[in-house]
Amino acid sequence: MSEESKTDLRRAGVVRPLMNSIVPNEVHVHQGGSRARSPNSVEPLLLFEQVSKWYGSVLALNQVTLELTGGITGLVGANGAGKSTLLRMANGQLKPTLGRVSVRGTDAWDWKARRLVGYCPDIDAFYEDLSGRRFVWTMARLCGYTRAESNRRTEAVLERVGMSGRADRKLRGYSKGMRQRIKLAQALLHDPELLILDEPLSGIDPIGRQELLELFQALAAQGKCLLISSHELEALEKLTNHVVIMARGRIAAVGTLQQIREMLDDHPVSVRIDVDRPREVARLLLGLPEVLAVDVAPKLGAGVEAIVVKARNPKRFFELFGQIAVEHQLNVRQLEPLDESAHAILGYLLGGSGRT
Amino acid sequence: MAQTDTLLRYRPWRGTARGPLYASTALARASLKLLFRRRIMWGLFALALLVFFFFFYAQYLVVWITNLLATDSVRFAGIPVTVRGITRFFEPLALNGTAHTFGNFIWYQGYVLVIVLALAGSVLVGNDFSHGSLPFFLSKPIGRWHYILGKCLAIGAVINLLTTFPAILLWVEAGLLYDWKSYYLDNFTLLLGIIGYGLVLTLTLSPLTVATAVLVRRTAPMAMIWMGLFVLLPMLSGSLVESVDDTGWRLFDVWNNLYLCGLSCLNADHAMVRPQPQPPYWQAWLATGAVVGACLLYLRKRIQAVEIVS
Repeated sequence: MSEESKTDLRRAGVVRPLMNSIVPNEVHVHQGGSRARSPNSVEPLLLFEQVSKWYGSVLALNQVTLELTGGITGLVGANGAGKSTLLRMANGQLKPTLGRVSVRGTDAWDWKARRLVGYCPDIDAFYEDLSGRRFVWTMARLCGYTRAESNRRTEAVLERVGMSGRADRKLRGYSKGMRQRIKLAQALLHDPELLILDEPLSGIDPIGRQELLELFQALAAQGKCLLISSHELEALEKLTNHVVIMARGRIAAVGTLQQIREMLDDHPVSVRIDVDRPREVARLLLGLPEVLAVDVAPKLGAGVEAIVVKARNPKRFFELFGQIAVEHQLNVRQLEPLDESAHAILGYLLGGSGRT
Repeated sequence: MAQTDTLLRYRPWRGTARGPLYASTALARASLKLLFRRRIMWGLFALALLVFFFFFYAQYLVVWITNLLATDSVRFAGIPVTVRGITRFFEPLALNGTAHTFGNFIWYQGYVLVIVLALAGSVLVGNDFSHGSLPFFLSKPIGRWHYILGKCLAIGAVINLLTTFPAILLWVEAGLLYDWKSYYLDNFTLLLGIIGYGLVLTLTLSPLTVATAVLVRRTAPMAMIWMGLFVLLPMLSGSLVESVDDTGWRLFDVWNNLYLCGLSCLNADHAMVRPQPQPPYWQAWLATGAVVGACLLYLRKRIQAVEIVS
């Protein structure tokens, strides 16, 4: 990213300087700069190039550049951050006002691109008179399959989402969770390379949620790329720690939660340390320049004391703490970062509680 | 959930997925099934069937009476009634297997057809927009024009089911009532005319239905627009023709234009077209073409902007 665009982003108050250079293995983000590609390289599965989207006078997406090549990527952000707009553009349901969205080199707006993409929208408005099986079968026919192949695929995906025994009921009688499964089934029909799932876990009970998480992991293991938007941050954390965080139409950060947390230099990390001789260790830690505060408090339910340290520059702090532990032969039973959760990171990034 | 990770890969499919045009036909089939699930549709189809049966039996009756009472007269309530006296009530309908028979039949079917299309438009297209099910369709490998084509095909099927298909049955019946060899040979162009009339109706009313459904979406406003097009405009144009004495005003009547185009396909005598006076056929063609063009332009504009913003 160029210095000029970094300055722009800082001025906009959306992207903080610390998170500009996170470039993980599978997701690359570039804001305000295009990237040269060698002519022989394989086209990325999903590529956003300087994409902006206006709804009238409202800017929904602002110069987003994003590249996905595989694995599971979580998309998080507050309401109105532009998540759904981004997903719909990836599926060719929306046209960018500026920039280009492509799927393996084909414009996402082109119907051919949708052969590679499965989309599970957040809405669940179906033809309520149809049964779940019939709906999925109709969708299979729309994919261009023969009658026999449509039957086979319908049964396969219904089985896969755990709906084969309940698919003959009319859609109007389905619970929210069953609707989610049917939506997922129709997205899986044509065995797409890229699965775009908008809030796939909402309304699903804990057991069903676990089943779906396992399914997503199995799909990713098959080599599919999943882009999942969700407000269920805990569930998303179980699935992947690879996230794209959106704020006010821009990609605020991208990478693993740990990577993002590490880049948040100006926010102190909170770490709970369960160690022998806690008061002595607290005194030692206070001597470190990285440590801002140390709190010795009884560990909940354990009857012993633990230390909660607030330190800036987490990387440096952990290095120094390691040295102290070795020098003083500390018996460290547990070392737990308290704010590496998606909630906490979102809270830092979005300037709020992290609630989405 | 059953462990079926490999189920989709079981016996890998070696075929090639058909193109989006095939998906349009699949969409049309699904749309028709949805339409036929509505009881009100069956009620309207029954009404259309009544109109058909009226023409079917009346055509038979006219021939039967004409043959039976060619020379005689019958006494009705003590009054001698001639054949002409009995059959003259049917004369405006021209129930004699001519071009006007089929033209009149389709004209009268139009009353049911407009109601069917108003409902079909809101059910098939309007609901997709207002209920938000469009993202499901457009997330599949079809383009927006393919979606519209699918809906037009479904509407076209309904139009032809109510007009062209029964008109062809009337043509077949007429042949059986008269000397069938000479009738079918001499009036083969009538069959082509009926098909042409059906084609004109399909090509005009399908985009018109889709365009109005996209515009207003819900059933009640859709019905109001169609009533305006097929009831108010004909009344207005009729009164304007009479008061200004200019047949050009008749061109505001969309259904009348379609009727004229249909009669032109059937090669009917323009002077016999009711009500008189009528604009020439070419003007009706031009006006119909303008309607189709306007609908397509509107749909194109909407398609460019069709974005799922819910």
